[in-house]
Amino acid sequence: MGLPCGFGASTLQTLKLVAIPSSFSMLRPCISKTLSLHSYHHFQRSSLPFLSRALSATALQSTSIANEDEKGISFSPLVKPQWRAAIDFKWIRDNKDSVAANIKNRNSNADLELVLELYERLSNLQKEVERLRGERNVVANKMKGKLERSERQRLIEEGKNLKEGLAALEEDLVELTDKLQQEAQSIPNMTHPDVPIGGEDCSVLRRMVGSPREFSFPVKDHLQLGKGLDLFDFDAAAEVSGSKFYYLKNEAVMLEMALINWTLSEVTKRGYTPLTTPEIVRSSVIEKCGFQPRGANTQVYSIEGSDQCLIGTAEIPVGGIHMDSILASSTLPLKYVAYSHCFRTEAGAAGTATRGLYRVHQFSKVEMFILCRPEDSDTYHEELIGIEEDLFSSLGLHFRTLDMASGDLGAPAYRKFDVEAWMPGLERYGEISSASNCTDYQSRRLGIRFRPSSEISTGPKKGKTNIPTQFVHTLNATACAVPRMVICLLENFQKEDGSVIIPEPLIPFMGGLDLIRPKSK
Amino acid sequence: MGLPCGFGASTLQTLKLVAIPSSFSMLRPCISKTLSLHSYHHFQRSSLPFLSRALSATALQSTSIANEDEKVVKPQWRAAIDFKWIRDNKDSVAANIKNRNSNADLELVLELYERLSNLQKEVERLRGERNVVANKMKGKLERSERQRLIEEGKNLKEGLAALEEDLVELTDKLQQEAQSIPNMTHPDVPIGGEDCSVLRRMVGSPREFSFPVKDHLQLGKGLDLFDFDAAAEVSGSKFYYLKNEAVMLEMALINWTLSEVTKRGYTPLTTPEIVRSSVIEKCGFQPRGANTQVYSIEGSDQCLIGTAEIPVGGIHMDSILASSTLPLKYVAYSHCFRTEAGAAGTATRGLYRVHQFSKVEMFILCRPEDSDTYHEELIGIEEDLFSSLGLHFRTLDMASGDLGAPAYRKFDVEAWMPGLERYGEISSASNCTDYQSRRLGIRFRPSSEISTGPKKGKTNIPTQFVHTLNATACAVPRMVICLLENFQKEDGSVIIPEPLIPFMGGLDLIRPKSK
Repeated sequence: MGLPCGFGASTLQTLKLVAIPSSFSMLRPCISKTLSLHSYHHFQRSSLPFLSRALSATALQSTSIANEDEKGISFSPLVKPQWRAAIDFKWIRDNKDSVAANIKNRNSNADLELVLELYERLSNLQKEVERLRGERNVVANKMKGKLERSERQRLIEEGKNLKEGLAALEEDLVELTDKLQQEAQSIPNMTHPDVPIGGEDCSVLRRMVGSPREFSFPVKDHLQLGKGLDLFDFDAAAEVSGSKFYYLKNEAVMLEMALINWTLSEVTKRGYTPLTTPEIVRSSVIEKCGFQPRGANTQVYSIEGSDQCLIGTAEIPVGGIHMDSILASSTLPLKYVAYSHCFRTEAGAAGTATRGLYRVHQFSKVEMFILCRPEDSDTYHEELIGIEEDLFSSLGLHFRTLDMASGDLGAPAYRKFDVEAWMPGLERYGEISSASNCTDYQSRRLGIRFRPSSEISTGPKKGKTNIPTQFVHTLNATACAVPRMVICLLENFQKEDGSVIIPEPLIPFMGGLDLIRPKSK
Repeated sequence: MGLPCGFGASTLQTLKLVAIPSSFSMLRPCISKTLSLHSYHHFQRSSLPFLSRALSATALQSTSIANEDEKVVKPQWRAAIDFKWIRDNKDSVAANIKNRNSNADLELVLELYERLSNLQKEVERLRGERNVVANKMKGKLERSERQRLIEEGKNLKEGLAALEEDLVELTDKLQQEAQSIPNMTHPDVPIGGEDCSVLRRMVGSPREFSFPVKDHLQLGKGLDLFDFDAAAEVSGSKFYYLKNEAVMLEMALINWTLSEVTKRGYTPLTTPEIVRSSVIEKCGFQPRGANTQVYSIEGSDQCLIGTAEIPVGGIHMDSILASSTLPLKYVAYSHCFRTEAGAAGTATRGLYRVHQFSKVEMFILCRPEDSDTYHEELIGIEEDLFSSLGLHFRTLDMASGDLGAPAYRKFDVEAWMPGLERYGEISSASNCTDYQSRRLGIRFRPSSEISTGPKKGKTNIPTQFVHTLNATACAVPRMVICLLENFQKEDGSVIIPEPLIPFMGGLDLIRPKSK
């Protein structure tokens, strides 16, 4: 359980969260060395001074690499991204200093200078392409009239040259666009002005609810309790599946179902649409949500022989529901509450605190997700953390809510609140939930826009004004991550005899059961 | 949804159910050609007449193949197959293979087994000789005599080492062939193809409607219950989101089923949904190959489960259970994942055949003499559950040609789906006797109280293999099809059956959404 959207302030920094195309990390050295437009050869350099200046040094190298490629050498530096984020480069250029400061505050290794350089090249190349298209049109128009034979021959030749040059430039345009994407996609989201700047230590306490429960007897941790109550089987799961897998047994199954049902029911009551989701998704959707499905330390399980992966959180399939669409303004906000199983490799988590259910490869989770107008996302962020606080309070947990520091935010988050609950057996606060405002980071990748309603803009132009679309804001928040919640409930509500009291709100969802009793052998 | 334990009389025949090691299908032609003990070379052939006869023709060929690219695939595990029993019941086994439409090669298995037995005897003989030589050397000896004995001992040791290698290899080959032999068949099972399946019971009759019925997709559209289009973009075809009351209905079905089956003394479980491929094989499914139903995890030996039967079957893997703990009855809730390779073109509208679904599965481990009784208990629970939801269904005793390799007998439940205008399989219950337990290594020690013979006290009673049974208590998507299509009203709303209402927070009707 280490995807940053769900868990683990401590794990966050070890994760690669940035949405970049799959094989990018291997490519990076190549790219920075071969930022040339390799198909740019026979054309008149004189008319493209900036291009020749920028590229002449590397032109030969890149061409040879491209040739190697044709021979079938497998590592192609020219990886086509399967999709493009609608990144606002003009805004980045115009706010260069803020973006640079933000990259620093977020501990990101995005290369802003390179992005801006690539963007400038691209802009100039676009202009050049436009100019040549214009010239070609001029030549084409000239040829419509009556012409001397030699003159016609000259124009045909000129047109041919222009066409060839244009074709080469258009190829370059595509390639440069791809490279700009690769670099720019690693730029993190901007940061909410109230977010504390700094590393994990700088996170600010938002709220503290309750106080650590006091016990008149030596407390057990959830594993000891589970043993007495016959609730888990980690040993069999290690044989059947591997370490960090588990079976839930007896009342633990009822507790899991009760938590899911109660949470769904509570959140649905608040106007959220319940969903169950696919747990196998295309890897591109994972990338678009800001996660990295490939690479040595990926948290994502891939399906063999396909481009599909297992989800680490329902945020991914719910984020994907409205992919590549323009929503009617009247449908916003869209509020979802999704129940799914989640799968995480936990690569790199060896050695971290991983007792029992705390960090596991598979778990059930109920996740909230909102798509809204940009001006509303701060308000809905408060709504989400409010729901979380309500839920955990009504279960009687002691917890604190943190406004996470800039250095601790994953790339998609504009702001993130974490909830950490007291786990008496583990003798620590453990993250049980988080709520993130991703503003337009995900929607620019997933292609989710809306058209502001025309009623609002009642300017002088009446009727069908073509109001431009905007990107929605997306927010996600954990309503219930079952295993960590089970840890909290068992450890906080244990009695001296090893039995565990079921919190009031869950009793109706446990078929009336109010106490888990030790099994008599 | 096409794994035979769960669904699809019609799909069964297209599935490869037999537990055979992963790359076996590619190997088969090689194996039948290279059934030699390729490491058997320098040793005295004269002392092994049957071996040299059997092997001389192919010895060269097999050696070269082995060098080529390690054709000698080691199975990662071995089934405890009772070869002696197979040999002693050759005719019944042969008839059974025929009745089950299996392509297992019994003659080859028996031939390999005989070779193995002889090789074992030969190895024993050489071990004995080696011991004789070793013992002789303990006494005082002439130098030349000692030298001769040393030489003889060395020869024996080398020969033995080669034979022991052969023994391992032959054992592996025997495994590969023998694992494709299907389970025996219950004497009451009708012999023949799908058409021969026999009606066990018919409950209710097709519901009559005074209006044109809709199928579940049309109903789901009006009620805003599914999103197949978004799932096709996000995941691929045959995936889906459940929305609104469909989510509540799924949860209600799972909760109600768990609660009903738990009441009957079954231990509730949730299971890992990623398991080692060897466990899948041991349960009688084939995790690899072109037409596999199993999703594999990249860069590991793990796969996604197609049914909770697999992780539940695995719980007691490689263990000896106390007789007093039997029967062990489980009811497990899991998500299931199936590639549905080869299902293109079959009836796959809407939720009928999908890549991912929720299922509640019953699983029993019991003493051999009890498995028929528990098979009746399982089909009885299924019939109870579906009756109390008010479904019209029929129960079939599936014909021999329609049984997967692990099943000794299988009952299928087919419910009426008015929108699809057909009976569709919603459940099945299989008695696998000791087919899975011989692969999973699950034994029990009969209690000594029963065998109160003259020998009192700690008699070493031999262990036996348990019998395993599995049965679908609720496969959610097909159940959702049944409920929507059977309980639809003219206005497109759907009545919730009585038993589920408390599990739907009191909701008794799904109403069309006003746009």
